[in-house]
Amino acid sequence: MPSAQKPMRYGHTEGHTDVCFDGTGSCIVTCGSDGDVRIWENLDDDDPKSINVGEKAYSCALKNGRLITAVSNNTVQIHTFPEGAPDGILTRFTMNANHVTFNSDGTKIAAGSSDFMVKVVEVADSSKQKTFRGHDAPVLSLSFDPRDVYLASASCDGSVRVWKIADQTCTTSWPLLQKCNDVINAKSICRLGWQPGSGKLLAIPVDKVVKLYRRETWDSKLDLSDTFITQPLNIVAWSPCGQYLAAGSVDGSIVVWNVETQECIQRMKHEKNYTICGLAWHPKHRQIAYTDTEGNLGLLENVSDGKKPNDKVASTVTKDYNDLFDGDDDDYLNGDMVEPQSSPKAGADEDDGDDDDLRPTLGHLRRAVIDDDDNSVDIGMIKANLNLTEKEDGDDDQTGGFPALPLSSTQQPFYDGPMPTPKQKPFQSGSTPAHLMHRFMVWNSVGIIRCYNDEQDNAIDIEFHDTSIHHATHLPNSLNHTMADLSTEAVLLACESTEELVSKLHCIHFSSWDANKEWTVDMPKDEDIETICLGQGWAACATSALLVRVFTVGGVQKEIFSLPGPVVSMAGHGEQLIIIYHRGTGFDGDQCLGVQLMELGKKKKQILHGDPLSLTKKSYLVWVGFSAEGTPCYVDSEGTVRMLNRGFGNTWIPVCNTREHCKGKSDHYWVVGIHENPQQLRCIPCKGARFPPTLPRPAVAILSFKLPYCQVTTEKGQMEEQYWRSVVFHNHVDYLSKNGYEFDENTKNQAVKEQQELLMKLFALSCKLEREFRCVELADLMTQNVVNLAIKYASRSRKLNLAQQLSEMAVEKASELATAPEDEEEEEDFRKHLNAGSSGREWSRPLVRNVQQDQEMEDAEETACEEAEETPEVPKQRPNPFSKGVTSAEVTTPKSVVIASSSQGRVNPFKVTSNKKDPVVPAANVLDTMSRYSKKTSLSGSRAVNKQNPLVIKPLTPKPKSKQASAASFFQIRTPNSSEKSTEEREEKAGNEPHEVTVAAQENTENRRPKTGFQMWLEENRANILTDNPDLNEAEVIKEGMSRFRMLSSEERMAWTEKAKGGAVNDLTDDKKRKRPTADEDEVKNNQEQNSEDSNLSKKPKPLDQSTNVRLSAFAFKQS
Amino acid sequence: ILQGDLGPFNPGLPVEVPVWLAINLKQRQKCRLIPPEWMDVAKLEEIREQERKEDTFTPMPSPYYMELTKLLLNYASDNIPKADEIRTLVKDTWDTRVAKLRLSADSFVRQQEAHAKLDNLTLMEINTTGTFLTQALDHMYKLRTNLQPGESSHSQDF
Repeated sequence: MPSAQKPMRYGHTEGHTDVCFDGTGSCIVTCGSDGDVRIWENLDDDDPKSINVGEKAYSCALKNGRLITAVSNNTVQIHTFPEGAPDGILTRFTMNANHVTFNSDGTKIAAGSSDFMVKVVEVADSSKQKTFRGHDAPVLSLSFDPRDVYLASASCDGSVRVWKIADQTCTTSWPLLQKCNDVINAKSICRLGWQPGSGKLLAIPVDKVVKLYRRETWDSKLDLSDTFITQPLNIVAWSPCGQYLAAGSVDGSIVVWNVETQECIQRMKHEKNYTICGLAWHPKHRQIAYTDTEGNLGLLENVSDGKKPNDKVASTVTKDYNDLFDGDDDDYLNGDMVEPQSSPKAGADEDDGDDDDLRPTLGHLRRAVIDDDDNSVDIGMIKANLNLTEKEDGDDDQTGGFPALPLSSTQQPFYDGPMPTPKQKPFQSGSTPAHLMHRFMVWNSVGIIRCYNDEQDNAIDIEFHDTSIHHATHLPNSLNHTMADLSTEAVLLACESTEELVSKLHCIHFSSWDANKEWTVDMPKDEDIETICLGQGWAACATSALLVRVFTVGGVQKEIFSLPGPVVSMAGHGEQLIIIYHRGTGFDGDQCLGVQLMELGKKKKQILHGDPLSLTKKSYLVWVGFSAEGTPCYVDSEGTVRMLNRGFGNTWIPVCNTREHCKGKSDHYWVVGIHENPQQLRCIPCKGARFPPTLPRPAVAILSFKLPYCQVTTEKGQMEEQYWRSVVFHNHVDYLSKNGYEFDENTKNQAVKEQQELLMKLFALSCKLEREFRCVELADLMTQNVVNLAIKYASRSRKLNLAQQLSEMAVEKASELATAPEDEEEEEDFRKHLNAGSSGREWSRPLVRNVQQDQEMEDAEETACEEAEETPEVPKQRPNPFSKGVTSAEVTTPKSVVIASSSQGRVNPFKVTSNKKDPVVPAANVLDTMSRYSKKTSLSGSRAVNKQNPLVIKPLTPKPKSKQASAASFFQIRTPNSSEKSTEEREEKAGNEPHEVTVAAQENTENRRPKTGFQMWLEENRANILTDNPDLNEAEVIKEGMSRFRMLSSEERMAWTEKAKGGAVNDLTDDKKRKRPTADEDEVKNNQEQNSEDSNLSKKPKPLDQSTNVRLSAFAFKQS
Repeated sequence: ILQGDLGPFNPGLPVEVPVWLAINLKQRQKCRLIPPEWMDVAKLEEIREQERKEDTFTPMPSPYYMELTKLLLNYASDNIPKADEIRTLVKDTWDTRVAKLRLSADSFVRQQEAHAKLDNLTLMEINTTGTFLTQALDHMYKLRTNLQPGESSHSQDF
């Protein structure tokens, strides 16, 4: 039993509704309490035709192109169908009518009103009225006997009466219903129904059962009930064949029985349990349309009992007519073979033609009416009337005597599989539907083209957002153009072919410098333009002949190529052309689209070779185009915006779901443009529609993008989303640079900075959460510089293992960079981006620049670092005022070195500071002991010792260990082109570093204070002491120094103390400087590692170092 | 006095700017104005009904609703759908409110209250009655203070 219940859709405002099909079943007609009658092509019809019939419509009926409605001004009106023009008032009551219904041939209507009266009126002549009095309460519903003898009515007085139409007498009356005083209070509206065809049975919904009464005898034949029904039934409806009976209840269940077998073949529940108040069978197919009291419209498809069609026919055919029907069956089968899709029609037609003898026997009103729709009304009517007079043979022909419909419904090809989706029609991006009188032909980032097509005027209005491109223009639309595109160079218009005229492409090339601004091209006969687009210097159109024709913007015909399928839409930008076409047939509401992306310029290559286009389920394409930066994007009807991810193998990535921004269910955003920088989705909010009206002029809104990453409520998810969004939205920069377009270098830098910042934050977050593996994974995404930062961060937050892992990775990365020649190329690229102006051969310079960007990041890291320090993990360290001092010292040391190294080009103001602290001190032995000591402690892992002087050990030891060997090479790679000086500097650094460490160590082991005057002095004079007493050991040197220091005059001592303070201050300022955006942070990091390595390596080159140091410091002094 | 950083201005994209700039640009025909959200017939009708129904002042959609309406409708009526209707609606609302204001001022004086509180009044409305009312109250105070000794002296004299 494959019955598909489609989701309900909004039809009318809340309140009572009614539904019926038109005679051929081509459309559904509903009416509701908003006073509108809507004509729906199908359930998915977004633009139903609305006819306003009054303030409120209570009931509607449709037959023979006449639409009868009962409205709140107490009248029953006629409108023509489908035009909807008012055609007079049929009758009036003193209260509103509750139900109107046609008789089977559509010549009469019956209306029951709240003023207790029932009237039967001839449609053709409203003066011929018959009034039925007798009900003591408002009349609920009515039903005509198909043979036009009787009329059944249900009323709030609790009775169901059967009237004889001819003399308006009450034939019988059953007290079946609950009494009430008004329709609103009635438990059930009790829509009853005669069995179509013979009218043998009258079905009345009574509480939870459907009572079937026999004609003439008026005794209850049987009750149809089902356990599924828990609430009173509101309405019954017979299938046109009279075999099935559907009933809807007040709690939204719909049940279908096979009346013959009394078997329930279908149970369905309303998705929201609203009361079903309208129920109608499709005249030919097995569909039931239903409406509820909340104004929703639903459709139930493929209602069947799953039996084989022929069995059913046999079972329904009565003996007398068996032989006739055998022949008939064959006919139908033939008909099916010829035209299986429209079997009912085919069958009926054939029947008409060759079964004349069958006709009178079968001749039935209902049947004739059906034929009417296929053929002509007049003949059908005459026949019907004839049949009416001839045929009074009674009950015999009942169900079997009405074979056309059961057959038509059962002889449908029995196919349960997925149904093919109708292919979506070609469209222009940014246009509203062509049938509108006032519509947008295109709205893009250049301007707006509007089209007016009403009685007075058929014109096109072109308007530019930026009036400096061109002024607004107004064109007469004599050719009836339906398609348009607009670029900064030209306007492209196209029309479809008419009977006389071929399809034309019309270009207004307003930026042309000659006098001829326009050209037109005629398509070959029978070839219709379906979509058009403009690029830079070219125009293209796709035609119904599956061809894409490319023109230059001046009108020269260029490339022409075939499409694999019917085109859906096209868009152009620069040299790029994207074409979306039908790759095949989609099923179950899905479209099956393919996409081609090509470059038309000099390169002439195809980038996407007809790949499948990913669309949200059951959606279709609504917009396709390029971002302002030239990345292809498209939007589907579910509001998902997808963008080409050039950085990941030209995949499509959803970047925004506009439905998330909508307030109402039927609100949409109509996309007009996409910008990647700044990240903007420009669209027009449309309330209750898919597209905006031209007036009032809609305002553009801006939506932000959001990648559908998981857990974006958490900090991690958020940052991940941001990171990847930034990556995706900056792919265009690479693309542009690769294709030789100019682009803003800053954008790239900013993007890199932003991304690295996010990575660093993520890194810090994972660090805090003790997710070290994740940290490494994150670091893998980072650039070299940031990895160094990360290493620093890791080491500072006491994650030795992590730091080690990271530095290994850094080395690996570095060596990769060095070895792979392709990488080199990339590097070249990178350099080119970074310093387009500078020579690019020197690594140091780009690096310095790079660092500028990373500066803030470091700040972020710094804060993160501080946060980390606040974690309970390191509270012991906190109170120690020295810890900061040491770290800063450690940072500053390399800094000073960096400055030296970067001083190649410019005078460095910090140089003095650095060199001031660079006195010649043979600190080797101290350092040795220190480093050895630290190594030992770190290896032994003794907590106590660590606590003693953890700050010196921790940051230093792990790195050298892991990096020693490779780091040297790494450094060489980085400075292959720098002069000897750099090596010198390196040595200087090497010299520098141990000295600093010494100081730090001294500080550590001594009184844990910043350098005192004495220390300064000692540093300065140590050499002297040593030369004087070469055999002194360290302690003795100090002792000697002490005594010498005391011997100095107080002024001198003061001077030293001052100096010491100044040094401290300098330290501090250095510390601060780190936070300022100076250009050297990066090298700081590089060199810092370098230093730390060298500090271990430096035992041997020490003597040399010292000398260079001296030389350098002297040099520096001179400079300053 | 009028200054500030604004923009970026992109053709076709709405930007929020101060009213003075908006009007200026509009006068030079450099822009289209997007009326504030409340400047909509349905919303204003609702506000008017509410204002008529309540005895007290109802909150207005903008503290400068009258000024804005006046300015926008004078200079940019072509950008505002149903400008005339809006004008009438706002005028109606204004009239209702001013009438209420007068009424309350009247009852305030009549009942010789010492203080009264009026919520949701806009600046413009306060200014329409403010100066007059305070001066009038001053005068009345003088009259009353004169009246009392006058009465006593009156009784003394006669």
